[in-house]
Amino acid sequence: MKVLKVPARTIAVFVLPCLVLYVCLVFMPIAVSFYTGLLQWDGITGAKFVGLANFKTMFTSDPIFWPAVRHTLLYAVASMLEIPLCLWMAIMLSRHVKKGNTLVSIYFTPVILSIVIIGQLWKTIYNPVSAGGMLNGVLVALGLDSWTHNWLTEPKIAMFALYFVSLWQYFGYHLLIQYTGVQNIPDEIYEAAKIDGADGFKADLHITLPLIVPIFKVSLVLAFIGSLQAFELVMVMTGGGPAHATDVISTHMYNSSFLSLKYGYGSAIAAFLVILCLICTVIINTVMGKLERKFS
Amino acid sequence: MATGKRFKTLSIALTAAMALSLTACGNSNNNEGNTSSSSASPSSGSTSGGDSGKKVTITFQNIYPDPTTPNYKMVRQLVSQYEKEHPNIHIELDTLNTDQQKVKLKTQAASKEIPDITMVNPAAQMKPFVDAGLLAPLNDVIDKGGLKDTYQAGLLDYYSFNGNVYALPDGNNIEVVFYNKDLFQQAGISAPPTTFDEFLQDVKTLKSKGITPLAIGEKDSWTGSFLFMNILLRTNGGPGFLKDVVDGKKTFNDPAFVEAVDRFQDLVQAGAFPDGATSIDANAGGNIFKSGKAAMWIIGTWETGAIDASSVAGKVGAFQFPTVDGKGDPNEFMLAPGSAFAISANSEHLQETKDFLNYFTLNLPKTQFDLKNAVGIGQKVDGDLKAAGYSDLAITVAGLFNQVKGGDLSFDNTMNPATSQVHLSSIQNLFVQKVDSAQVAKEHQSAYESNK
Repeated sequence: MKVLKVPARTIAVFVLPCLVLYVCLVFMPIAVSFYTGLLQWDGITGAKFVGLANFKTMFTSDPIFWPAVRHTLLYAVASMLEIPLCLWMAIMLSRHVKKGNTLVSIYFTPVILSIVIIGQLWKTIYNPVSAGGMLNGVLVALGLDSWTHNWLTEPKIAMFALYFVSLWQYFGYHLLIQYTGVQNIPDEIYEAAKIDGADGFKADLHITLPLIVPIFKVSLVLAFIGSLQAFELVMVMTGGGPAHATDVISTHMYNSSFLSLKYGYGSAIAAFLVILCLICTVIINTVMGKLERKFS
Repeated sequence: MATGKRFKTLSIALTAAMALSLTACGNSNNNEGNTSSSSASPSSGSTSGGDSGKKVTITFQNIYPDPTTPNYKMVRQLVSQYEKEHPNIHIELDTLNTDQQKVKLKTQAASKEIPDITMVNPAAQMKPFVDAGLLAPLNDVIDKGGLKDTYQAGLLDYYSFNGNVYALPDGNNIEVVFYNKDLFQQAGISAPPTTFDEFLQDVKTLKSKGITPLAIGEKDSWTGSFLFMNILLRTNGGPGFLKDVVDGKKTFNDPAFVEAVDRFQDLVQAGAFPDGATSIDANAGGNIFKSGKAAMWIIGTWETGAIDASSVAGKVGAFQFPTVDGKGDPNEFMLAPGSAFAISANSEHLQETKDFLNYFTLNLPKTQFDLKNAVGIGQKVDGDLKAAGYSDLAITVAGLFNQVKGGDLSFDNTMNPATSQVHLSSIQNLFVQKVDSAQVAKEHQSAYESNK
C-alpha cells in the first residue's frame, strides 16, 4: 500500500476538527448521560446524587422496562431474520431478471420517504373500517370479517403491526445492499464454477454465500442497531400506547425524561441502551467473524 | 518545498471551508427546531440586540400554530400593534403546538435558557420551573395599568407561589358536553341527559343507530383523563379528591375512585367511543365531532370558537356533565384555568419584556372580543355578546360559566408529573381492555407513593 507522503501536522489539520467534534458530540454526551443516570433529577430544579438507585429501579421495579426491552429485542431479531430473505431476493433478481436495477429501485422507494410519512400512511391503512382503513376494508371485501382487527390499538397485536411497517420500509434498503454485493461477485467465478459442474443452488452455496458474508454482516449490524434505537415510527404511530403495549426502550426513555420529568431515570435507560448496543455489536461481530474465517 | 507550501495553503483553505460548512449546519438545525417562525434563531436574536441599547428582540414562545383559529390572529395582531408603537422592539414568535412546546421548554429549562416569554400550565406543572428560579415574579406587571383587576377572581392564584404571581393566564375554561342537536334528534333523543344512567342509555341509543356517541382522540392520553376526572368529580360528591390524597386523608383505593373507574368502563363497554380511539390524536378526535360524525364531545370550552368555525356550526348545544348515581352537583365543573404567559427570570431585556407583556395582556380581552373569541378567556370582558353577533352556542356556554360553583383541576395540573403519567396510561388502558377497577386504584396508589 502506498503511503501518502504528508507530514503528521498536515494530517492532524484534517483529522483533528472531526476528531474534536466527534469527541464533543458523541463521547461527551454519552459520558454526561451516564453521569446524569446517577442522579435523581427532574431536569429543571436541583439534582440529587443517588448512585445506582435509578438502575436498581429500572431492573427490579419498573413494570414498563422489561416489556420494552423485550419489544426492542424482538424487533431487532425480526429485522435480522428479514435479511436472508433479502439475500435470496437479491440472488433471484440478479439471476433471473434482466433489468434488476429498476426493480431494486422500486423496492428502495419506502426507504427514501420520511418515517413520519410512512407512519401516517400505515396508520391510515391500519384504521378500523369505520374510519376507512384499507387493510380491514380489503379483509371485509374478501369476506374475512373475522380477521379484521384494530391493528394499532389491540395491545396483543399493535407491536407486530409496527414491526411489519418497519420491516416493509427497510426491505428495499437491505435488498439494495445485498443486490450490490451479489453483483460485485465477478462473473468469471461463476463461469469457472459452471465448467466445474456447479450451477444454480450449488454455486450459490459455495460461491455466493461465502463471498457475501462481509456484506451480510454489514446488513445485520445496521438492521440490529437500527432497530434497537427504533423511536420515530413508534412515536408517530402509537406513542408507545395503548398503555405501554408498544413501548420500546427509546420511547420509554423519552417518556420518562420529558413526560414523567424523571430526567435522571431517563438517562439511566439511555445508558442501558448504549451498553446493550455495544454488547450486541460485539456479539454479531464475533459470530460473523468466525463465519467469515470459516468460509475463506 | 514549493509544493509543500501550496499543500499547506490548500489544507488551511479546506479546513476553513469545513469549519464554515459546519457553522452552516448548526444554523439550519436551529431553524428546524424553530418550526414555523420566520427567521433566525430565537436565543441569538435576543442576545444580539441588547448591548447597543437600541434594537431589542424579545422571543415569544407561544402555542397558537393553527392559522384558522382566532388565537393565532390575536397574537399577531397585538404583536404588530406593539411593534408599530415601539419601533425599537422586535417580537420574535416561536410558534409550536402544545405538545412540542412542552418538550421544547423542558429541554430549554434543563440548560437554563428559556425564551423571554413562554407558556406554562398552572399549579403542579409549573412548580418545578418556579422552584428552579427560572420564572420572573410578575407582581409589578399586574400592578401596572390596573391589569390585576382585569383577571377573574381567584384565577391568578393558580399561578401564584409564595405570594408572587409568576404567569398570566390566557383563558379560564370549564369542561362541558357539546352535543350535535341534529344527531340527537335522528336518534330520537329529546333532551340532554341529567343523570349518568340516562347518559349511558343515550350512548346506547346513538350506538344502535350507527352514530358514534362520543368523539375523542385518546392517543394524547390527557383527553380520556379529562373526561374520567369529570366522573370522579361526581362520585366523590364534589371537588377535592386529589387534594385529599395529597393531604393523606384519602387514598386512590377510596370507593369514590374505584366507582369512577367502573362507571368509565361502563361507557367503554357501551361502545361510546370511536373504534381505535387510542390511535387518534386529540385534534383528529375533535374533528370527528366537528365534521358531524359523532353526537357528543366532552371537552373544554376553549373549543367553542373552533366549533362555531366548523361545519356543525349552528347545530351544537352544550350541557353540564350529569350526576353519577345521584352524586355530585352539575354546577361543579372540571376547571381549566388556561395556559399562561411567563417571563424568563434570566431574560436579557427583562424590563422591555415586562412592558410588552403588560401591554399584551391589557389589550387581549378587547382583541379577543373583536375576534369573537372572548368566551373562556381569563379576563373580564365588557360588551354584549349577543349584540356583537356571537353564536347561540357561545351564549349558552357563557351562561354555563355563570353557574360555576367550583370544581377540580385536571389530574396532571394537580399531581406530580410521574404519577400523572402512570394515571394517563392507566386510563388509556381502559379504552382497550377490561380491567379490575381495584387493580387500577392500586396502581395509582403505588405510583403516588413511590413518586411522592
